[in-house]
Amino acid sequence: MKLKKVISAIAIVSMTASLLAGCGDSGNSQTPAADNTPTDTKQEEPKEEPKEEPAQEAEAETEAPAVEEQVLKVAAFEGGYGADMWTEVAAAFEASHPGVTVELTVDKKIEDVISPSMKAGDYPDVVHLATGREAALTETLTKENALLPLTDVLEMTVPGESVKVKDKIVPGFLDTLATNPYGDGVTYYAPMFYSPCGLFYNAGLFKEKGWDVPTTWEEMWALGDTAAAEGIALFTYPTTGYFDAFTYATLSSAGGSDFFNSCMTYEDGIWESENATKVFELIEKLGTYTEATTVANANNDNFTKNQQLILDNKAIFCPNGTWLPGEMADAPRADGFEWGFMAIPAVNAGGAGCSFCWFEQMWIPAAAENQDMAKEFVAYMYSDEAAQIFAKSAAIQPIAGVSDYLEGDNKMFYSIYDNGATAVMGGFAATAPVEGVNMLDTLCGTVNSIVSGDKTVADWQAAVEEASDKLRAAME
Amino acid sequence: MDVKKGKARSVFIGVCVAPAVILFTIFMLIPTFNVFKMSLYKWGGYSNKKEFVGFNNFKILAEDMNFFRSFQNTILLIVCVTVVTMALSLIFAAILSREKIKGQNFYRIIFYIPNILSVVVISAIFSAIYDPNNGLLNSIIGIFRSGDKSPILWLGDQKLVIYSLVIAMIWQAIGYYMVMYMASMASVPESLYESANLEGAGRVQQFFSITLPLIWTNVRTTLTFFVISSINLSFLFVKALTSGGPDGATEVFLSYMYKQAYTNSSYGYGMAIGVVVFLFSFGLSAVVNFVTKREPLEF
Repeated sequence: MKLKKVISAIAIVSMTASLLAGCGDSGNSQTPAADNTPTDTKQEEPKEEPKEEPAQEAEAETEAPAVEEQVLKVAAFEGGYGADMWTEVAAAFEASHPGVTVELTVDKKIEDVISPSMKAGDYPDVVHLATGREAALTETLTKENALLPLTDVLEMTVPGESVKVKDKIVPGFLDTLATNPYGDGVTYYAPMFYSPCGLFYNAGLFKEKGWDVPTTWEEMWALGDTAAAEGIALFTYPTTGYFDAFTYATLSSAGGSDFFNSCMTYEDGIWESENATKVFELIEKLGTYTEATTVANANNDNFTKNQQLILDNKAIFCPNGTWLPGEMADAPRADGFEWGFMAIPAVNAGGAGCSFCWFEQMWIPAAAENQDMAKEFVAYMYSDEAAQIFAKSAAIQPIAGVSDYLEGDNKMFYSIYDNGATAVMGGFAATAPVEGVNMLDTLCGTVNSIVSGDKTVADWQAAVEEASDKLRAAME
Repeated sequence: MDVKKGKARSVFIGVCVAPAVILFTIFMLIPTFNVFKMSLYKWGGYSNKKEFVGFNNFKILAEDMNFFRSFQNTILLIVCVTVVTMALSLIFAAILSREKIKGQNFYRIIFYIPNILSVVVISAIFSAIYDPNNGLLNSIIGIFRSGDKSPILWLGDQKLVIYSLVIAMIWQAIGYYMVMYMASMASVPESLYESANLEGAGRVQQFFSITLPLIWTNVRTTLTFFVISSINLSFLFVKALTSGGPDGATEVFLSYMYKQAYTNSSYGYGMAIGVVVFLFSFGLSAVVNFVTKREPLEF
């Protein structure tokens, strides 16, 4: 009798254990891909912490003990510029602000790293993360009104200097929907590293063939026909995501900056106006000049194959940002290859070319604990000291003269506005979330269907106008 | 004495069952309940501003054409992947367990390998296979094609791309189900086949009259697996291979849910999609289970 009990007890214990073991193995089909991110943080952290903490401790000992100890939590997106510049800037900030420890988190998927603790109420003090990312953390917080206005940061003096922040930032950068997302003149995003977007090409190919770089769309189409005869396509694009910069620039070129802002704020009927139609039709025509395999490779896995077409002389132009040469640095290329970069030709005859200026943003969550120090940190970003550290990694702050630090190709890219191109800045205004409506998907994602002929311009235009109507209703 | 014993017994049972019940409640019931609850709110996912909107999310969903497209794609994937995978893995399992082929174990391993690979690796492999210019598939087809040489865009043609996903998913799943079917085929008594041989039944007839009926319970179980894994795996494949494109042509349930919940900052709406997916997969499994119900055969 007793033996039986013992045996059944053992059996039950082992069954419970196997149940728990079952928990650990979630099977082959259940684990979402994003689950591996916590390990990324762990890899990231040891790299930075040992560097900072000893430095900080040493500092705290040498500095006056009266200084209040503060911890500033900074979360930054690790883009093409790398993570080292952030470590360096954080160290420099600590050096100039005794008693402050910067707790830095830098990651390529920073939103996955910080959002779990944010949901639990533990917010970073400063976040450097641009809009337009897939996880849309910045947009989500904007739509939920969970950001701190930066108005007083702009009035602050840059730490260690005697200039106000707003006077140091290049004019124009603070009047856009990409810094004032609600379109009400209040700045919520601090403009960080900027990058002109335009068309990249192989300057060597133009020399070799004796072609002139087109400056109008008429010349563009003529070049397209000439090149087609030699088996070279006029155009390719990495993914349709790059059409945001392209459309913004062409919209602005077609109707001017007021028209562009009306588009971005969903004015009624604006997408069916004559100027917008010009842009839609331009992209449709460009679609007929697009390299045949572009659509098939226009996804996250294969977009570099489209960029490779430029290096292989299979396509001439590709819309992109200044990070492209870095991204393709190790790729094989045609003999005599040389990066060329130009603004998008004017849509109206006689108009100026234009280039969308893309920039990353830094913001302070309204729920941040250490807001004063966070503002100080944002202001510090515009100091010459910080700008120089960033510039070493080719990350250019919108501060006058900073692009002078650049050399070689990068200098050529940043000189695009000096050569007569109009800078276009901004993006769609923030609205309350509208279920099932995604403007960028409707506007840019559809380009694939236009190129492949699955949708007509009329359908596309109507869909964009419909999305615009729904979003206008949600604007506050 | 008896009462005391009975009480001790129920306490003992209670203690034994408790860990499972607690785990199930924490990790299954509460999250599922939360999904249902959140689907009734308008919420971005972060702030404290949760607005109760009743069934409004479902009302919007009923008119969302993009959602219907992802619904269609998911159903197409479930049907195609299930039918083809089941047929092929049954055939392979029957061949490998009934016929005497050299290197049986080798084939078994080869077929199972795709199942061990991560979906991201498989996507990379299939990206290379589907490459329009240098891909394996177009190169092979190119041998037989003359004249019109424009490449087939496996991931670019909106009518083809979903089938490109189907192929990758089938390739991935065959080994797993084949091993499952082989395990149950191994337990079918040899004597049945011997007597069928004596009666003059051919191999095909043996398969349909002996093998299939006797492993039917196993086949039924795998049908539920097919439904669940098609929904889950299609998300990973779409995420890695096509990102839902071109222009939403490969959007499936979960990728659309992700887009809405995160990219579009409509967490509540995403949860409403989650509820529909939950009910759909539950319902479909129940229907499949009911339709395939047979009197289990004893042997």
